[in-house]
Amino acid sequence: MLLCDFHIHTTYSDGSIELQKVVDIYGQAGFDVIAITDHVVNNDSSIGKLAHRFKYTVKEENFQEYMDAIEFESTRAWDKYGMLVISGIEISKNYINPDLSAHILLLDLKGFISASWDYERIFREAREQDALIVACHPQGLSDMSKDTYHLWNNREKYAKYIDAWEIANRDDVFNVVSLKKYPYIANSDFHKARHLYSWKTLLNCSKEVGAIKQCIRHNKGVAITLFRN
Amino acid sequence: MEPLFLIFAALSLFGLFAYALQIWSVRSCRTISTPSCLGKPISAPPFFPPISILKPLKGLDDNLFDNLESFCHQDYPEYEVIFSLQNENDPACKVARMIKNKYRDRDITVHVERCSAGLNPKVNNLIPAYRIAKHPYILISDSNVMARKNYLADIISDMRDPGVGLVSNPIRGIGGESVGAVLENLHLNSFVMGSVSFLDRFLKMPCVVGKSMLMRKSDLEAIGGFAGVKDVLAEDYLIGKRMHESGKRVVLSSHMIDNINEYWGIRKFLNRHTRWGKLRWQIGGIKYISELISNPVFMSFLALAFLGPSLRTVALSAGVSFCKSAGDFFIGRKIGTNMAISSYVLGPLKDVLIGFIWFVPLLSNTVVWRGNRYIIGKDSMLSPCPETGLWSFRYKVVETIKARFA
Repeated sequence: MLLCDFHIHTTYSDGSIELQKVVDIYGQAGFDVIAITDHVVNNDSSIGKLAHRFKYTVKEENFQEYMDAIEFESTRAWDKYGMLVISGIEISKNYINPDLSAHILLLDLKGFISASWDYERIFREAREQDALIVACHPQGLSDMSKDTYHLWNNREKYAKYIDAWEIANRDDVFNVVSLKKYPYIANSDFHKARHLYSWKTLLNCSKEVGAIKQCIRHNKGVAITLFRN
Repeated sequence: MEPLFLIFAALSLFGLFAYALQIWSVRSCRTISTPSCLGKPISAPPFFPPISILKPLKGLDDNLFDNLESFCHQDYPEYEVIFSLQNENDPACKVARMIKNKYRDRDITVHVERCSAGLNPKVNNLIPAYRIAKHPYILISDSNVMARKNYLADIISDMRDPGVGLVSNPIRGIGGESVGAVLENLHLNSFVMGSVSFLDRFLKMPCVVGKSMLMRKSDLEAIGGFAGVKDVLAEDYLIGKRMHESGKRVVLSSHMIDNINEYWGIRKFLNRHTRWGKLRWQIGGIKYISELISNPVFMSFLALAFLGPSLRTVALSAGVSFCKSAGDFFIGRKIGTNMAISSYVLGPLKDVLIGFIWFVPLLSNTVVWRGNRYIIGKDSMLSPCPETGLWSFRYKVVETIKARFA
């Protein structure tokens, strides 16, 4: 089984550790697959504007630099650790009202997608790029400041676009995903070194981006584990 | 002047004097001054007997992959590496297997065997590895040690002398991305490095650092083997002591090894040094007091705490802290650590924390190590904590409080 974490932040957004060091933390710990998913924050709300002001977001201007840096690290990680690093972003639509807020992981993305676009456009564009679409922390978190209910409250409308839902995020488990029998994965939402020890995904497939995306979409051979030291 | 101030000032100056001696011993000690300690080869050792490296693994250390990998790059003709684990599901097991797969041309064994021969989990991990070790020399090397290419070649050279029974190494702390890791590295590079060099240089005491111990199998077996230390916490100290008593010399090698500490939390730092403090209290007895009175920063802060802030108490604390930090910086540069100058500002904070930790062993004789709770007795002899009665109640209360604050 491949030990995977598909939700990781670096100093490109609000993570506290630089990309290279993050890759090393996971490589040194024996992970097989990780995805770097820094925030791309909306610019149409007061909270979103704050993120732009404090540079807690990847912007269209530095998106290519961000992707190039991940590509470089991906090569290094493969050579040194045999670890696959997938590029991605976390579309972060942040509003004061958590019912309006949503976070969406887009994995194996090729081009920039803005968080200020409407949901339908984001999903369509991600599909066109063959990115894997994951709904993040669909229910309340122990850290209430980032509650995002919009996708779950509108699941009938959006479920057709979403390849998987986070059934666990760091220390929180969302049993509603299980009750609805939605495809699932579990991630750390890594921002600090101690977040390494959290919920993770195990995949029974080969260590290739295509196989991993297919495994998650079909949701066969997927398990979750609480990674502890 | 108040007598209390004079006492604290005198103790602070005494501590600074003791630290100056440690700095001198680090500076002049052969363990530091020879080129080999910085990884540069001196002359080729005249003999290269095959060595079995025993690496007991439990859990993930910072930099584990690189640490283990560094043992696959040894410039040495014949050696084997045995990664020994108690549990297949240990996250370190996956890393060990990755290393084995990456270096298929090396003689690497990942050995998983549950052993409960004694109470010391590290010794329990070493016993199965020792059983399958092929070579006449064994090197016990902790998982958090990173070695340079000439490590084996350097340390074996001391074994040319048949009178030498054990070779250990000085250790320096490297890295430090978090406050806890910086505190740990500061302590390794000041107190630990200074004390080990001082004991070796001036007192000629057999000083063993358990992170790296090279022995002959025959010598270890002559002093009772691992079975003789399976129920003690300080197995390194006891092996060194018994080796010394058996007439064999315990040598501090000229090769310095690295301990990479990157992302420690402050709690981990406090837990480790509380455990080490308890260990030294049980081993050293009354000599343990010397650690307190040779902590000049803590002594100067006691003056501040007892007499209140005034020009002279603040000046004493600031002056002593500055001198101690300058000493830390000097040792750091001497042994080639890569710590930023700003990190040394945390030195006085570390010394004050260590000062408070000093008192804990006087109040508690239990340790939690690798998930197990023990009562620690004389010479660090371990006994399991009772599951019933007052002990059990006490720990239930403590655990409940901890869970509340988690």
